[in-house]
Amino acid sequence: MARNQYVSSALVAVVALAVGFLLAGQVKAQLLTPSNQVARNQALVHSVQDLERTNDSDRKQIASLRDQIDALEAEAAGRSDTTRALQNQVADLRAHAGLTAMHGPGVKVGLTNGSPDADPTGKARYLVTFQDVQDLVNLLFAAGAEGVAVSGRRITPLSSFSGSEGEVVIDQGPPLFSPIQVLAVGDRNRMETALDDPNLLPSLRVRQLQFGLGVKVTGAPDVTLPAYDASLEIPHVGPA
Amino acid sequence: MSARPKTTASRAHTRSRSASGAIAVWVIALLIALVATIQLRSQAEVERSLQSADPSTLAFSIDQLHRSNDALEAQIASLKQQQATLQAGGGDAVDQQLANEANQLRMLEGLVPVRGSGIVFTLDASGLSALDLQDALNNLAAGGGEAMAVNEHRIVVGVDVEQSESGVTVDGTLVSPPWRFEVIGDSNRLVETADLMTQQLRSDRRVHEAVYVVEQDLVVRAIVTERPFVYAISS
Repeated sequence: MARNQYVSSALVAVVALAVGFLLAGQVKAQLLTPSNQVARNQALVHSVQDLERTNDSDRKQIASLRDQIDALEAEAAGRSDTTRALQNQVADLRAHAGLTAMHGPGVKVGLTNGSPDADPTGKARYLVTFQDVQDLVNLLFAAGAEGVAVSGRRITPLSSFSGSEGEVVIDQGPPLFSPIQVLAVGDRNRMETALDDPNLLPSLRVRQLQFGLGVKVTGAPDVTLPAYDASLEIPHVGPA
Repeated sequence: MSARPKTTASRAHTRSRSASGAIAVWVIALLIALVATIQLRSQAEVERSLQSADPSTLAFSIDQLHRSNDALEAQIASLKQQQATLQAGGGDAVDQQLANEANQLRMLEGLVPVRGSGIVFTLDASGLSALDLQDALNNLAAGGGEAMAVNEHRIVVGVDVEQSESGVTVDGTLVSPPWRFEVIGDSNRLVETADLMTQQLRSDRRVHEAVYVVEQDLVVRAIVTERPFVYAISS
């Protein structure tokens, strides 16, 4: 009798579990996008991931080739004063172009998306945009930055910003998403003062209040910026 | 005889306990199943959302990455050629290569006048701000611009574009509209960009004029002065 009760309870539990899974599956399935749309998105995601892998591998190859060329030039500079003078000139120009790593006093600025619940506009104003990053980088340079990097990507004299909702593309990508960290080396006091000024970066500050966008500024005695690791070419420009 | 009613009551009690036990088992099992399913499916969704954005964002990323990878591969080919030249040639080859790189970097950093094909874009509007100028310059740079000047002021990233009481300044000098942008770069891409910009700008009531012309041989004479580093140390 007791055994029968256990069996029936177990049976009831199994049936209940199955019903529960089916019910939950049904409820969630209605919340999901249609499966063919998901599949299409997945195919696009795989394409992006493949291209990002190629991008990463190309950047590593460029860094390695640059190292090998530097070694060959250094070897030649050891044999000739003219070569050494030229190498020093190029080293200075490379440093100003962002092609070498640098360090020094500076600031770190963290940008994070706000809360979607706080944004009833439907325009995704709670997201960090490429314009926010562009405005911040311009402000840092105007306030004494000598070098800037955004989430590991060094800004060069040719840098440009683009993107779509919540996606930031600097130069030739790959795309960056929140949280974004901007590092700057230069006049730390001037940069901190500018970042504290409530009249600057108006769009970011308004959305910070309205949608909770995160802007965290930290001064640091020694900030390190990586070298630019991609193509810096101007094929359509020649000497005048 | 007196035991019978007790037995009936006891059976009824047992039946009721067993029924409530079964209900409890049902409810608990349902809850576990519900929570487990939601958890499993939520995890799958989070994984998906980590990678995915909407299709237009993904398409934009694919386009950007294709362009980036093409540029990187061209750069790899160029560096391999440089490496081969250095390995094959003697000191003269190294000097020549260093001189070429120095010239290229001076042009890129805006330290010398440059020429090439491109566009001249004119924008006249009332109430233009420093942010408008920065946006226009960024759009032109992202749209294929490789060397730029506005009203005879050379622009590279890092040049101060600021809002003052009297208007917009570039490197401390007032730059009043109309703004004349000289942009050297890939003409096809620049034309596409300029078309989009003119369309957008003409819908802005402040704008009096937004036009561009293509130039086969455009000279940008304005230069910037190199600023030595005060705080930064190159590694």
